[in-house]
Amino acid sequence: MNAVSKTKKSLFADTSVSKAPVMSREGSVSIHEETTGSKAVKYLLIGISVLFLFVMLVLPLITVITEAFKKGFGEYFKAISDPDTASAVTLTLKATVIAVLFNTVFGVFAAWAVTKFRFKGKKILVTLIDLPVTVSPIIAGLIYVLTFGRQSTIYPFLEEHGLEVVYAVPGIILATVFVTFPFISREIIPVLEAQGTDEEEAAAMMGADGFTIFRRITFPHIKWALLYGIVLCSARAMGEFGAVSVLSGHLRGKTVTLPLHVEILFGDNKFMPAFAVSSILVLLAVMILIIRSIVEYIGKDRG
Amino acid sequence: MYIELRDINKSYGDFKASDNVNFGIEKGKLVALLGPSGSGKTTILRMIAGLEHPDSGDIIIDGQRVNDIPASKRGIGFVFQSYALFRYMTVFDNIAFGLQVKKADKKAVQERVTELIKLIGLEGFENRYPSQLSGGQRQRVAFARALAPNPQVLLLDEPFAAIDAKVRQELRRWLKEMIRKLGVTSIFVTHDQDEALDVADEIIVTNSGRIEQTGSPLEIYRAPATAFTSSFFGQTSELEDYTRFKFFDRVDNYDKAFVRPEFIKMTKKDEIQKYKNSAAEGIVEDIAFRGNYIEYTVNSNGSTFIAHRALDEEKVEVGEKVDVFIYRLFITVGNEVRLLKNGSIREEMVVI
Amino acid sequence: MGKKSRIIPGFGLSMGVTLSMLALIVLIPLASLVIFTAKLTPSEILEVITRKRVLASFEVTFITALIASLINAVMGVVLAWVLVRYDFPFKRLMDGMIELPFALPTAVAGISLTSLYADTGAVGKIFAKFGIKIAYTRIGITVALVFIGIPFVVRSVQPVLEKLDPLYEEAAGILGANKSQIFRKVILPELSPAIFTGFGLAFGRCLGEYGSVVFIAGNQPFKTEITPLIIMSELQEYDYSSATAIALVMLLAAFVILFLVNLIQIRNSKILGGGH
Repeated sequence: MNAVSKTKKSLFADTSVSKAPVMSREGSVSIHEETTGSKAVKYLLIGISVLFLFVMLVLPLITVITEAFKKGFGEYFKAISDPDTASAVTLTLKATVIAVLFNTVFGVFAAWAVTKFRFKGKKILVTLIDLPVTVSPIIAGLIYVLTFGRQSTIYPFLEEHGLEVVYAVPGIILATVFVTFPFISREIIPVLEAQGTDEEEAAAMMGADGFTIFRRITFPHIKWALLYGIVLCSARAMGEFGAVSVLSGHLRGKTVTLPLHVEILFGDNKFMPAFAVSSILVLLAVMILIIRSIVEYIGKDRG
Repeated sequence: MYIELRDINKSYGDFKASDNVNFGIEKGKLVALLGPSGSGKTTILRMIAGLEHPDSGDIIIDGQRVNDIPASKRGIGFVFQSYALFRYMTVFDNIAFGLQVKKADKKAVQERVTELIKLIGLEGFENRYPSQLSGGQRQRVAFARALAPNPQVLLLDEPFAAIDAKVRQELRRWLKEMIRKLGVTSIFVTHDQDEALDVADEIIVTNSGRIEQTGSPLEIYRAPATAFTSSFFGQTSELEDYTRFKFFDRVDNYDKAFVRPEFIKMTKKDEIQKYKNSAAEGIVEDIAFRGNYIEYTVNSNGSTFIAHRALDEEKVEVGEKVDVFIYRLFITVGNEVRLLKNGSIREEMVVI
Repeated sequence: MGKKSRIIPGFGLSMGVTLSMLALIVLIPLASLVIFTAKLTPSEILEVITRKRVLASFEVTFITALIASLINAVMGVVLAWVLVRYDFPFKRLMDGMIELPFALPTAVAGISLTSLYADTGAVGKIFAKFGIKIAYTRIGITVALVFIGIPFVVRSVQPVLEKLDPLYEEAAGILGANKSQIFRKVILPELSPAIFTGFGLAFGRCLGEYGSVVFIAGNQPFKTEITPLIIMSELQEYDYSSATAIALVMLLAAFVILFLVNLIQIRNSKILGGGH
């Protein structure tokens, strides 16, 4: 399990170029003559990278925007001010906020438990926490249907109390929480692991209580990782499609999130409105990427 | 001269790492580049290897100017401070690397590597990874890897820095012996004067990008030529005003005066001191046990300096008054060094 | 570790909160999957997963995921190399863009790629001239999966490449290795654990991917129907047994991949961590 958390760390670890080894890297260049061949390789590799990212990432974004405005601004605003769109926005926000709150609470407590104490079964616990991201979203939906659906043993109980989960808003929220479950804990855990327990132990011996230790000592270490996790969690939560799709039942105006709304419009051959709604999500995605870069930049700057 | 550096200059921005460096090294010699950190010794080593380029000046190896020859073609063996052993290669593959990249015959590689592994005494470790070796073993592998392609020059960057103090002594001897045996011209960088004095045939002293002095360990220790070398070698202490001590020639405009513990005789008040009349009174401020001798910090005539006494001599307590006699001292005038001898010794010689 | 050694307070509270939230979100649903699976007989499961249509979907899913992940493994190394080793204008922008597939909802990516790679789309048009159809074929599925998998290899290789001590390259250079030898023999072995890890994670993600693929796939049975879609349609027909049986195969595949990734990491830390 150690391995997986290590992987996670490197997956989201610092992404900009480190400055320290520049001097020696210059040195390494001088091992060989700077030939025209090595320059050609450089420009070839940069060229391939730019082309690849342009075709795979930039063009799809441009497509969304051009398709959205194909019939002009008027049609665009009509599409995004549709009542179904408005209700989809509301539901998406609701699910995202709840998922972020739930997973923040979980992430902080889980990270504290996992990194500040030694206990048996820690590896199993960490594996279970990470499990939701390794499961296909469709399977995530499936296990919730099995748990709360008609054939479930607790279904009669739910029905008696008028609790609808499958094909209802609670199901959508549960699915969103599930797919983003480890997003915050796995940002915090590596930071706390690297920090160790010395500072907390010192504070505890001086008589500080748990909350004071967390607020004064632990929290300053994790605040950027926490913020980073919240950003990633929001991104995934608002965009979740597969798991939500299983549990939604696609009741317009009731159980349809923004991504599902896009699917429905596209399926109905309403391409322009589908892209118009998508453009909202594109905007949010780009904003998240920018915030992510800023958080990462500041976080690294302040250590 | 086998290796020669002529008028080498190298700057990193405002920092002058090499300031008109000139020196020559004879074939087969084991030379130490000695200086404090930041004195430019590693830069010199990396320029000889071809890992850095001088801004100006010539580097000549075996009569050929090598400035424009890339590191990969200079035929130099290099032992890095942290060894830089390839982490994903076994001991065997590490040593074989330099031969394999030159497409050497497989059998020849096998033979050469086996020979080297025997030389470094690591038979049976061929299939270990670097992480599975001790610090000393890693250094030996790094040494063998550098030697595998039969380099004419071996460069070692702080070769003992990453090794436990206990093993260091032993490895020093081993490396010295190996290099002697193989006769390869070698330069090693160190900041440790004991290491340089112990291992090298010749020492090149560097300070703030300049060469201060070159010479055999004995020459450099006995007769420092510059202000820097006089203070760098030995356990030197600076005297506040040396003329307060009796019977030294007065030199006008001197800058600094240094003494080493071996220049000083410290005696208890009730002990016999040959030059009692010339000795000064001092107070012991601190005592440190150093194994085979005891180190005293003494204050006398407004100066604080270090004196040694043998273990079998009677112990002196902190705060005790003692007699201190200084045989000789170094004074610096500008960058020049003069050795001053105590006049009372000379007088006695005259009497005899 | 006994209780005495726990100087830091809050073990009971944090453990309690962690376990109850974990139970609610992960353990109980997982348990219901286990309970439901226990009701199925092995022959039932075997019957479902050997249906021709299901087998065909396994093939489609596996092959497209494999090809997409391989493309991403190569491109991931190239991108990480370019981002770490070269300087050029707009590099930071390019670096920030890599995460787009994580941030962009898969459904949006799906419809956008579909219209882009359809015969009438900007890119699809070019290929259509050569008689190559992308959207609604396996190529289209692969394109969507490449999109999804871009960040994995880049983001696992990049930090390793950044932290790679230039000394190794210097050491190899002094020993006479040329640039391509240094890359193959010194740099690649250093990167390969990260490449395999990134590849494994991308592959796992691609196997389960649904949102970005359903639009571009065309979903023709036996040809371009992926396994997650089959599970989806079984669910819509309330055939939970079939859906679960197929899902078990997917879960098994995901765990095998995770296990292999772990194995690589264990071997790697053995080489780097010492011990005999």
